[in-house]
Amino acid sequence: MERTQNTQRRWQMLRFDRRLVHYFDWVMLLLLILVSAMALANLFSSTWSGGPHASLFFYKQLYILLFGIALILLLVSFDYKELETLGFIFYGLVLLLLIYAGFFVESIAGTQRWIDLGFFRLQPSEPAKLVLVIVLASYFSRREIGKGFGILELIKPAILTLAPFVLIMIQPDLGTAMMLAILFCSMILFVKLRWSTIAILGTLGISTVVFFWKFLLKDYQRNRIETFLNPEGDPMNQGYQIMQSKIAVGSGQAFGKGFMEGTQGHLHFLPERHTDFAFSVWGEEWGFAGSVFFLGCYFFMLLWGINIALSARDKFGVLLAFGLVMLIFWQAVINLLMIMGLLPVVGIPLPLFSYGGSSLLTTLISIGLLMNIRMRRFPLKG
Amino acid sequence: MGNVRNRRRKTEKKQPPLLDPATPLTIITPSDDAELDFLKKRSLLSSAVIITFFALLVARLWYLQIQEGETYISLADNNRVRYVEVAPPRGNVYDREGREIVTNRPSFNVVLSREDNRLDDELVKKIAGILDVEVTVILDRIRKMVGTPGHFPIRLAEDIDWEKVAVIENNNLDLPGIRIEVVPLRVYHYGNYASHLIGYLGEINAAELEAGDPKVYKQGDQIGKMGLEKLYEDDLRGEKGREYMEVNALGFEQKALKGVEPLSGSDLQLTINMELQRAAEELMEQENKAGAVVAVEVNSGRVLTAASSPQLKLDEFIGGISSKAWQAMLDDPRHPLINKVVQGQYPPASTYKIVTALAGLGEGIITPDTTIFCPGHFQFGNRTFRCWKKGGHGSVSLLRALSESCDVYFYTVGQKLGVDRLASYAQRLGLGRKTGVDMEHEKSGVVPTSDWKKRKYNTKWYEGETISIAIGQGYDLATPIQICMMTAVLANGGTLYRPSLIESVRDPDGRVLKTFAPEVQERFIGQGQNMKLVREGLVEAVNGQRGTGKSARLPNITVAGKTGTGQVVRLKQYEHLEEEEIPYKYRDHAWFTCFAPAENPEIAVTVLVEHGLHGGSAAAPIARAVLEAYFKDRLAKGQDVAYVLVPTDDDAEGVN
Repeated sequence: MERTQNTQRRWQMLRFDRRLVHYFDWVMLLLLILVSAMALANLFSSTWSGGPHASLFFYKQLYILLFGIALILLLVSFDYKELETLGFIFYGLVLLLLIYAGFFVESIAGTQRWIDLGFFRLQPSEPAKLVLVIVLASYFSRREIGKGFGILELIKPAILTLAPFVLIMIQPDLGTAMMLAILFCSMILFVKLRWSTIAILGTLGISTVVFFWKFLLKDYQRNRIETFLNPEGDPMNQGYQIMQSKIAVGSGQAFGKGFMEGTQGHLHFLPERHTDFAFSVWGEEWGFAGSVFFLGCYFFMLLWGINIALSARDKFGVLLAFGLVMLIFWQAVINLLMIMGLLPVVGIPLPLFSYGGSSLLTTLISIGLLMNIRMRRFPLKG
Repeated sequence: MGNVRNRRRKTEKKQPPLLDPATPLTIITPSDDAELDFLKKRSLLSSAVIITFFALLVARLWYLQIQEGETYISLADNNRVRYVEVAPPRGNVYDREGREIVTNRPSFNVVLSREDNRLDDELVKKIAGILDVEVTVILDRIRKMVGTPGHFPIRLAEDIDWEKVAVIENNNLDLPGIRIEVVPLRVYHYGNYASHLIGYLGEINAAELEAGDPKVYKQGDQIGKMGLEKLYEDDLRGEKGREYMEVNALGFEQKALKGVEPLSGSDLQLTINMELQRAAEELMEQENKAGAVVAVEVNSGRVLTAASSPQLKLDEFIGGISSKAWQAMLDDPRHPLINKVVQGQYPPASTYKIVTALAGLGEGIITPDTTIFCPGHFQFGNRTFRCWKKGGHGSVSLLRALSESCDVYFYTVGQKLGVDRLASYAQRLGLGRKTGVDMEHEKSGVVPTSDWKKRKYNTKWYEGETISIAIGQGYDLATPIQICMMTAVLANGGTLYRPSLIESVRDPDGRVLKTFAPEVQERFIGQGQNMKLVREGLVEAVNGQRGTGKSARLPNITVAGKTGTGQVVRLKQYEHLEEEEIPYKYRDHAWFTCFAPAENPEIAVTVLVEHGLHGGSAAAPIARAVLEAYFKDRLAKGQDVAYVLVPTDDDAEGVN
C-alpha cells in the first residue's frame, strides 16, 4: 500500500509540471517581492554610511533573499503532506541545534545565540518557531476534534512546545520563547477546546504569568545594579528606545522626510535601526502614506495566507497554513506595537522587513510552504 | 473566474474519495469534511482578528504621524541639532582721545571631550606634563564634571600660553579628545588706572541670572560687576554666536551646520582723558594716598578724570576674586572698594566758603567792599569759634577772606544769612543731591536746613550750628564730584551740568548709537557779577602772596582755587599732638578745588585726600599735576619753568 501511494505520488509529480504553472501562487509571490523590495530599500537607507556603495548588511540580506526565493521554488515542488511526518525529524534536528547553541556556544549579544556555520550564522531559535508550527499542525490534524480537546490531549503538544521553549529561555531569549508560547496558544484556541480545558488552562496561565513576573523582576533588579555601577555606560534604556522610535515615526508626518532623508536613524538616535526598529526608519522616511501602503501590502499578504487556509484541501493544510500565518502575524504585530510605543521593548523582528538571515530564511520557508499548500488545494486524484 | 472554477472543481472532486471505500485507508489525516469546515470557519474568524490589528496599527500611525506629527518633528529637530554658544567679544573702551583703555584678546583654554566615557590615564599624564601641573589637578577638574552629560566638554586649563598651545596642536594625534577653545578675555591697557570707573567682569551669579533675560544669560557667562562694565552691560555685551551641529544619539558632533557668528559689543568712548587720569592717580598712588580726583569740562559737564585711590587691582578680579583678597580689601583702612568720587562723603570744609560768599553777596549781606575784623576768634553766646590763624587776619575784605580763607569773616556772614538761606544757595550749586553721573551707589551728601534737622533729629535748629555750616563743617557733607560740579558752576557763571562719562557709543559697524550732549540741570541766573567776585578771590588764593593754594600755581595759566581741611573728629586728646602723631583715621581730610584758566575757564579739578591733613600741601599739588597734563601743549609753548614748591601757611580751621 505504501508503495502504491509512493508510485502514485511520483506519477502525480511528473504530471505536476503542467499544473505548477496553472496553480502557482502568483499573488503570494508578487506580495512577497513587493514587501521584500520595500524591506531592501529600507535596509539600504538605514545602513547606508556614505559613499557610493550599499552596506554589507544590504548585500547579505539581498543574497539571502535571492537564495530564499530559489528555495521557495524548490519547496513548492514537493507535497507539504510529507511534512506531517518529516516535520518531526526537522523538529528533532532543531532541538539538537538548540541544545548545542544553549550549552556549547557562548552568548554573543547577551540574549540570542548563533551557530557559526562559516558563511552563515544560524540562529536556531528562528527555525524552532517554524518546526513547532509544523509539528503542532501535524499533531492536531491527526486528532478528531469532536467536542473539543481535553486537557490530557494537550499534554503532548504542550511537551512539544515546552522543549524548545525551555531551551530558548535559557539562552536567554525571552522574546522568542514568548513567541513559542503565543503560537501554542493560537493553535490550541484555533482547534476547539473543552470548557473545562479552558478553565484549567486559564488557571495555569495565570500562575505562569505570576512566575514570569517574578522572573522579570529579578532581571530588572540585575539591570538596576548594572546601571548603578556604570551610570553613563548605557544611556540606551528601554524608555529611550521607545521614545526615539516614536519620534522617528511621528516626525514622518503625512508623507515622510523622503528616502534616505530620515535623521533619527542616520544619526544613530534609533537603536537597532536595521533590525528590530527597521520600521521606524520606514515610518520616518515615507510618512503615514508610505506606512499605510506597506501595512496594506503586508496584511494583505497575511489575509492571503488565511485565504490559503480556507482553500486547503485537508485539516493539516488548514492548520499548517493558519499556524504559518500566525507565526508571521504575531511577530509583526508585536514588533509594530513596540515601534509605535504600545508595547515594551522585546527582541522580536518584523518578519521579512528586519535585517537578519535566520529570521528571513524562516519566514521565506513559511511563505514557500503557504504557496505549496495553495498549489495543492485541488484534490490528489484527478 | 478562476476561483469559481476551482471551487466548483473542488466540490466535484471532493465527493469521490469519500464515496470510494478504498481510499480512506491511504490517507493519514482523517478526512472529515465537518471538521475541515469547522477549521475553515475558524480561519475566517482569525482573518477578522488580523483586520482588527491592522486597523489598530493604522489608527496608531494616524495618531503619531498626523495628529502628533508636529510635536514629533520638533522633537526630532531638537534631537539632532545642538548648539554651543560662542562668547562675543565685548565692546572696547576708549578715552576721549581715542586711546584704548580696555580691549579683548583671545585666550586659549584646554578642553577635553569625553567621547567614550573611559578615562585614559596615559592621556591625563601627558596633558598634565604639557600643562606643567599635577595629575591630581587635572583629575579634580574631571571629577567635578562627573554626572554632567557626556557631550559637555571639560575645561582642563584656562588661558594657557602660546608655547603650550603649539605643543598641544602639534601633538594633536596623540591627544584624542583634547581641544583648544578660544575665548576673548579683557585686556586693561592702563592697568589699574580708572579701575573704579571701568569696573570689572565676573561670572554671573544666581541673583543676576534671575534678574537677567534668560535668552541672553546662561550659567557660566561673564557679566559686568561694577562700574561702566556693569552700567553699560547692555551695550558692551554683544550677542552670542551659536555653532550649530548635527549630533548623534550620544551627543557627539557629526557635522557642523551653518552657525551664527557672535556679534561684538558696542564700543564706548569715554569723556575721560587717560593722560589726566594717569597724572591724577600716579601721584596719589606714589604717595600712597587715599582719596578722589575729579576733573570736568566746565562748559559741558564732560568728566575728564574720575579717580579713586587706592586703585582696584583688576587682575585679582579676573576669574573671580579670592575671599582672602576680598577680605584684605575690606580691612584696608584706605577702603579700596569704595569709589570715593561718588561714595565718599566728607565735610566740604573751606571749599564751602564759595557758597557762603555767593549767598552773602546774593542776599546783600556783604558787598566786595565790606570788611570784617578778624581777631582770631568769633564769639557767639557763650561759645567761641576760632579762626585757623590764631593771631587773626585783622580787617578782611571778601577777596582776602577767600584767598586767606579767613574763618571769622564767613562765621559772620553765615550767622547773618541763617541756615536756610545758605542752604538754598548750596542746593542751586548742586550740593545735597546726586549729580547723576554714571557711577553706582552715588551718595547725595548733606546740605542741612532747619526742616532737615526737624525731620532727621526732631529738634529745632540752633543758630550756633549755622556758624559751623558757613565754613563747611558740622552737618555739611559733600562728595568730591559735587564739589567739582559746584566749582564748574562758579567757573562757567551759573550753569550746573550733569557730569557725563560717555562721549559716544558706537556699534561694531561704526554707527553712533549714543552721543554726548550737555545736560543742564540748573541755571543760576543773575549771579554773574557775584560769581566773578568770588572767582577773583579764588585767583588770589592761588596766585596771591598769602594765598592758601599757592602750590597749584602754573606758569602761563591762571589757576583759581580753594583749599579746604575737613575735620574728622574733635577730640581733646589729639589737640596738642603733632599732626604726624595723630592716628591715621583721625587726621583731617584735605581738599583742593580749582578751575583754569581763570579768565576763560575750561576745566575744573577737585582733589580730596583722605586724612591728608592740609588742602594746600596734600591736595593742591595733585590738582596741579592734572592741570599740567591738561595744559601740556600751552605750557610747553611758554617758558620752561622750574617749579619750586612754595611753603604755604596752613589753613586749619579750628572750631571749638
